[in-house]
Amino acid sequence: MGRKVQLKEICYARSGDKGDICNVGLMAKDENAYKIIKAQVTAEAVKKHFEGIVKGNVERYDLDNLQALNFVLRNALGGGATRTLMMDQTGKAFGNNLLRMEVELPD
Amino acid sequence: MKKIRMGVGSGYWGGLIEPAIEIVEKGDIQYLGLEYLAEVTLIILHKARAKDPSKGYILEAVDYLRRVLPTCASKGIKIISNMGGANPMAAADEVIRVARDLGLKGMKVGVVLGDDLLDRLDDFLERGLRFPNLDTGEEDIGRVRERLVAANAYIGADSMVDALRAGADIIITGRSTDNALYVAPPIYEFGWDWPNGDWDRVGAAITVGHIVECAEPVTGGMSCLWKEVPEPWRIGHPIAEMYEDGTAIITKTPGSGGMVNTWTVKHHLVYESHDPKNYLMPDGIADFTSLKLEDIGPDMVRVTGMKGKPRPATLKVCMGYEDGYIGEAECTVTWPDALEKAQWVEKFLRERFKIIGLLAEEMRFDYIGVNSIHGPRATPPKEELNEVRVRVAVRTRTRAEALKVRREIPILMGAGPAGTTGVFDPPQPRAVWSLWPTLIPREEVPTRLIMKEV
Repeated sequence: MGRKVQLKEICYARSGDKGDICNVGLMAKDENAYKIIKAQVTAEAVKKHFEGIVKGNVERYDLDNLQALNFVLRNALGGGATRTLMMDQTGKAFGNNLLRMEVELPD
Repeated sequence: MKKIRMGVGSGYWGGLIEPAIEIVEKGDIQYLGLEYLAEVTLIILHKARAKDPSKGYILEAVDYLRRVLPTCASKGIKIISNMGGANPMAAADEVIRVARDLGLKGMKVGVVLGDDLLDRLDDFLERGLRFPNLDTGEEDIGRVRERLVAANAYIGADSMVDALRAGADIIITGRSTDNALYVAPPIYEFGWDWPNGDWDRVGAAITVGHIVECAEPVTGGMSCLWKEVPEPWRIGHPIAEMYEDGTAIITKTPGSGGMVNTWTVKHHLVYESHDPKNYLMPDGIADFTSLKLEDIGPDMVRVTGMKGKPRPATLKVCMGYEDGYIGEAECTVTWPDALEKAQWVEKFLRERFKIIGLLAEEMRFDYIGVNSIHGPRATPPKEELNEVRVRVAVRTRTRAEALKVRREIPILMGAGPAGTTGVFDPPQPRAVWSLWPTLIPREEVPTRLIMKEV
């Protein structure tokens, strides 16, 4: 078994809103990191990570050219910035939250 | 090869002014984009127009233009802005008045109309358009029809290009996309075959517009590399140097703070986008998955390989409707037993709200400093906390109900646990405007251009 690290060690992230949808862009710091996140940070894993916050589906899109993954989180912001009771009304902190997720480094 | 330099003056309502002046003076730009409209902004502007028919546009943009118009006029910098908000004509009249005050004779102002659909809604509904909600899947706008305060289509570059061809120095629109402010100039300058072809090049302009349109977020703002950003307090605004062949260089005002590199550009490429192969804009569809980024010098990133597809048959429409109020208040509890006290405050308020019969549609408590942002994923505190700020937020149907939240929290100063403090003057209830995102066939939204002269 490889060593476990949080995504913040191997990635950057930025997130934002469109209505009640939040998207999180996860950028690998290098090629090796991109291989790891492509294999392990699945839409299902992200949906599980945001359990209790994101109510809808999670979709993943791959940007191989940028070594980045884009996650689209539906029904994520308590109705959207204009009506939500959440502190993070525009989902700006979702990216940092995802950087908490653990992945396993290959041996 | 022919190129143009487009500078970002504003990327959002309430942004920095100094870099917006600096870019005009030192950016060596030919175009200046001024963007102000978030989803909620337009609703606020519609409300302002309803109160006073001469208002409903971005007043701050007029103050800014007063400071830069003489320089723009002498350097020949063309200005494109969606500062018109809910009232583009009133905005244009005010800008013309300011230009006359400044003695700037002969400037041409293009006003773009047609995005505001509110007065046409009944006609659309009679003709069978139902405007299904893209977020919730609800099929008919009927339920909220009476509460609608705004309905604007996101329009593209068509009438802006017409305005440039008619010699406009300043173009003022309502809800044009942020993006179109940077798509119109290259179409006009390079004579691209649009909207019939040249989709890769238009896709490139859309991509470039997306990279720069928010201003600071591509010059070092909002970045995971925040520790490395030089002199962020005088952060520079971005400049897109667009080439005729559909390549670009992203840079910023020379000598300004902040930074531009492949990381800052990457950060923004993934921002507020969904399917990166299909970034839908009224002017075309950009594909972000083929492009290449390259650091070619200090604060200079070359973007090549951008692709695009024909523009969609529909336009996005954002409608906004009145949807009650939010009442919120905060207090601070302190060591010892800060977390336990926070839980006590929550229990206390929940019971108080029952006693006074508060009619809440939704209620939320946050322990700021503990888990208010990352929720269930936040690490539980391992040691005793020094303090916790407790926030309560409640959505209600009426303002009177929301006011009850405001009135209850000062009671904690008398009835709460030892050391409860920091109540101050809780905020007044804020009105909630919910959004109804939907689509409309493009041919239903013809835009039109009115040319005026200073």
